Amino acid sequence: MALFSAFQTTFLLALLSLKTYQSEVLSEPLSLAPESLEVSIDSARQCLHLQWSVHNLAYHQELKMVFQIEISRIKTSNVIWVENYSTTVKRNQVLRWSWESQLPLECAKHSVRMRGAVDDAQVPELRFWSNWTSWEEVDVQSSLGHDPLFVFPKDKLVEEGSNVTICYVSRSHQNNISCYLEGVRMHGEQLDPNVCVFHLKNVPFIRETGTNIYCKADRGDVIKGIVLFVSKVFEEPKDFSCETRDLKTLNCTWAPGSDAGLLTQLSQSYTLFESFSGKKTLCKHKSWCNWQVPPDSQEMHNFTLTAENYLRKRSVHLLFNLTHRVHPMAPFNVFVKNVSATNATMTWKVHSIGNYSTLLCQIELYGEGKVIQQNVSVKVNGKHLMKKLEPSTEYAAQVRCANANHFWKWSEWTRRNFTTAEAAPSEAPDVWRNVKSVQGHCVVTLFWKPLSKLQANGKILFYNVVLENLDRPSTLKLLSIPPPANGTELTLDQCSYQIRVTANNSVGTSPASIIAVSGDPGNKEVEEERVKGTEDGFCLSWKPQPGDVTGYVVEWCERPGDPLCDLQWKNLGPDTTSTVVSSDAFRPGVRYNFRIYGISTERIPYLLEKKTGYSQELVPSDNPQVLMSNLTSYSFTLSWKDYAAESQPGFVRGYSLYLKSKAARCLPGSEKAVLSDDSICCKYKIDNPKQKTFVVENLQPASFYEFFLTPYTSVGEGPQGAFTKVTTPDEYSHILIRVILPMIFSILLIMILCYLKSQWMKEKCYPDIPDPYKSSVLSLIKSKENPRLTIMNVKDCIPDAIEVINKQEGTRKSLTETEPTKPTYLYLLPTEKSHSGPGPCICFENFTYNQAASDSASCGHVPVTPKAQPQLGLLTSSENGPKALGKNYVNSLGEIPAGETNLNYVSQLASPMCGDKSSLPTNPPEPALCSEYKTQMAIPMGLASPPSITLLDEGEHDH
Amino acid sequence: MLALCDLGLVLGLLFLSTPAMGSCLDNYQELLGQLQKQADFMQHTSMLLDHYISIQGLDKDGLKEHCQERPGVFPSKDALQRLSRQEFLQILNNTLGHVLHRLRTLQKDIPKAQDLEKLNIAKLNIRGFKNNIHCMAQLLPGSLEKTEPTPTGPGASPSPTPISDAFQRRLEGCRFLHGYHRFMHSVGQVFREWGQSPSRSRRHSPRRGLRKGTHRTHLSSRNKRLMPRGWLPR
Repeated sequence: MALFSAFQTTFLLALLSLKTYQSEVLSEPLSLAPESLEVSIDSARQCLHLQWSVHNLAYHQELKMVFQIEISRIKTSNVIWVENYSTTVKRNQVLRWSWESQLPLECAKHSVRMRGAVDDAQVPELRFWSNWTSWEEVDVQSSLGHDPLFVFPKDKLVEEGSNVTICYVSRSHQNNISCYLEGVRMHGEQLDPNVCVFHLKNVPFIRETGTNIYCKADRGDVIKGIVLFVSKVFEEPKDFSCETRDLKTLNCTWAPGSDAGLLTQLSQSYTLFESFSGKKTLCKHKSWCNWQVPPDSQEMHNFTLTAENYLRKRSVHLLFNLTHRVHPMAPFNVFVKNVSATNATMTWKVHSIGNYSTLLCQIELYGEGKVIQQNVSVKVNGKHLMKKLEPSTEYAAQVRCANANHFWKWSEWTRRNFTTAEAAPSEAPDVWRNVKSVQGHCVVTLFWKPLSKLQANGKILFYNVVLENLDRPSTLKLLSIPPPANGTELTLDQCSYQIRVTANNSVGTSPASIIAVSGDPGNKEVEEERVKGTEDGFCLSWKPQPGDVTGYVVEWCERPGDPLCDLQWKNLGPDTTSTVVSSDAFRPGVRYNFRIYGISTERIPYLLEKKTGYSQELVPSDNPQVLMSNLTSYSFTLSWKDYAAESQPGFVRGYSLYLKSKAARCLPGSEKAVLSDDSICCKYKIDNPKQKTFVVENLQPASFYEFFLTPYTSVGEGPQGAFTKVTTPDEYSHILIRVILPMIFSILLIMILCYLKSQWMKEKCYPDIPDPYKSSVLSLIKSKENPRLTIMNVKDCIPDAIEVINKQEGTRKSLTETEPTKPTYLYLLPTEKSHSGPGPCICFENFTYNQAASDSASCGHVPVTPKAQPQLGLLTSSENGPKALGKNYVNSLGEIPAGETNLNYVSQLASPMCGDKSSLPTNPPEPALCSEYKTQMAIPMGLASPPSITLLDEGEHDH
Repeated sequence: MLALCDLGLVLGLLFLSTPAMGSCLDNYQELLGQLQKQADFMQHTSMLLDHYISIQGLDKDGLKEHCQERPGVFPSKDALQRLSRQEFLQILNNTLGHVLHRLRTLQKDIPKAQDLEKLNIAKLNIRGFKNNIHCMAQLLPGSLEKTEPTPTGPGASPSPTPISDAFQRRLEGCRFLHGYHRFMHSVGQVFREWGQSPSRSRRHSPRRGLRKGTHRTHLSSRNKRLMPRGWLPR
């Protein structure tokens, strides 16, 4: 106050002295005019910077003054800006003021002048304007150089949506200048003959590298331009927030606004200012900043975050209490202790927040797919007892904390895993059995299901099976079976047994599962019922059993066709009379068999019902092999007795018989049906699946039919197969068969009898001439080794004459009537001696039979095949002889007219020098010294050559 | 897909450029073939110029017509053809050094990283090409003046006059790249003439059968650099 009084006194004294000076020396008012006015330019920012001072102030004098500034463009009379600038002025103080021009300063000459006045209430008498300063001219154009064309402003940086003024300065009056913005011509206003101005409003962002604006002269290759760097609007930071973890450091975060366009010219800066402490920090990062809280700082903080770039400054504010923004550190020293089968204790520590703060901690326990959550208040040390845990189970426990008084954020979780201890199994194993009788023994296969994790309460080490003979209760047998076995096979005598099965882990034994095996298997015959399966399974029901039943068991095989059928069972209570059996293993088209047992009070199962069914029936997979029988002109019978309907993927409900015929109408009992190939046929429906035969009746004789049989289930018929063709016989053919067959049989019988008769006659009347080769004499001769004695071989004889027997046609004589006829000889050898002169030769007659072609007058020409008689031999037909000898000797018998000659013989000459009986004489030998004989040979039927031998009539036999 | 193909081609060319791996091919024809292919590849404006025009917004009517090569910046084809082989290689090496330096300058006006990719690939290409030029110079007999292998220092070429005006800078950059592609086209043609007439060199013919990994004469760029004699108007 004293200081103020002194200052006031001094000021008044100075003012008085000033007034005295005014009145006494100058006798006129003193003006405080601005002096030393200087104007400089900043082209990039398009700014005029003015600086001046006021010299007429007294020493230490300080006055409020106002300065009026005028700015003119092109000429001084064209004032474009007038502004009053108020400030406090000291003696010789340099005052500064800036003005930003919309028009680039290069576009026109600018002039500035100013005047001042005291604007201080303490000296109201000085409130008048001083004189104007002289005009200060700013002419940038004169320093541009000599280029013909300039465009301004250069490389200007503006925000999207701004208004920008552009100009060009041309040095030539003759050129017509055109200006373009990104290729689009602009139209401006002529500022003076050399300068044109373009006003761009609301400029858009086009690309990061800026917008090209250029001007060209219509003549020459002059092009000049500028790049207008347009940034996107600089946005203020979002989500500004501060928090502390230890009350010593604040971490402030925010989301910076969208990118301004990646312009390198637009680097952004972020500043954090706290108003209560007056401290400020420049943030190093774009999205977060740390702030150190002094130890004696107040709890309240008022922050201002300022984001700034070349063009704009954005600020956001945040006022908060430090203790309300506590984000605790994660708990540490977390342990799980005293872990038993059902309990465990979790302990942890927290970082303290202040002296009296309490933390709220949250504990989460994960195990067996469940989550248990608990909250605990903690100062420094936390402890929590976790109860009702499952034995032998893995758990995960985690804890996090927050400020209990002013919740802000949870800390991060700290997690620990642990496993509870084991306990004895809680449930008895689910046991079932399969009983078979093998060689007088009872083979019991026990099955049990593994205990679930919750039931086992630990790792099952073994299953105990105790067998107790009910007839001799003192007899016990114990078996220990380790997992993973889930069953065992027991061979028992026929005695009754009670079987107890328990599961054991390291801690103890489960309750026992009891099942009894009776000496009587009790598999009474129960009729099987059909049951229809659905997608959800098989719905089975049974009649409730009178008497004491402790429960029911449904048994089935999941793989019925497999020897290891994968036996399954389901235990049901005594009050249950129905259940749904479902399994992922059920497949369509597979027949499943279910057995329902009742469990007696003695734990003996006995069979109640049997069910069978398909989860989904399919059409039959194959068709039966159909046999056709009893084919008549009007019917035939089909049978398919070997067809196994039980192996089909559905219950066979009958058969469909398709019959195709040329008849337009279907027979009674059938109906028209269209096949998959659009052909039409008749269909018989056989509804009885057990029927395995079918008679197709009412057919037409001598008609063609096709049939095809297929079974059908509830879903449909079996696959379409090939039709079997059948033609019904003619109506009279069976009559013919009945007549002709006996006739043929009779003829054959007569023929056989005749043959036998002829054989008998032959034996009795003209027995066979003994074969000299087979004579016992021959062996005698050989033994004496007499070379002169030999047997003439018939083959070696050369015929010398042919006896021709003339037979009267139509005459037929019996054997008894036959007279010896004098034969006619044709002498084939030219020698006279052969028959006339006496010689050593002995001549025999040789009659060889030749059967005529027929036994009647129809006897005709007998064809002779040359190949049929390649060799001479008496066993060949009679034609062979002459033919083999050549046509020079005789005519072929084939040329002999029928009726003239029908029996021939050949006389043969046997050479005494003949050799191998199989060899043929190639040259006819001389018939010297040979013996001649005649013999008779009957040619057996079987030895006759096929083309020339026919069956002789009985009456034609000759000798 | 096209970019991928381009990248594959570039990598292929770089791997062809065996000097980059530390040794030179001693097969003259093979090396000449590589130089031809590389020059043919680098002459395409799609490798550099088109991309530059696009990102700088110069693809506008009335503006792109001014993106023409400024005479005298690059040697003309005629001037190149008049040079001896050794001189040609020397000029080529120096000019490409200048191009590399200029590309580094142009890089400053490209703000986005993805837009720089083409420029960087082009720089890699030029470095590989310069290495092959060096190898070719090794194969030419009797040459005392050898080209130097890359990398060439930034001072290897005259600094362009600094232009503060962004518009003028990008227009000059466009003109420069236009000239560069034209120059590479001419270089490819000269190399092709080498292949057609092996004895055309006025003074030298290629040495054949040089041993692999031949020693190189690394001359000081400060003392031995040839000033381009062929900087003549086309």
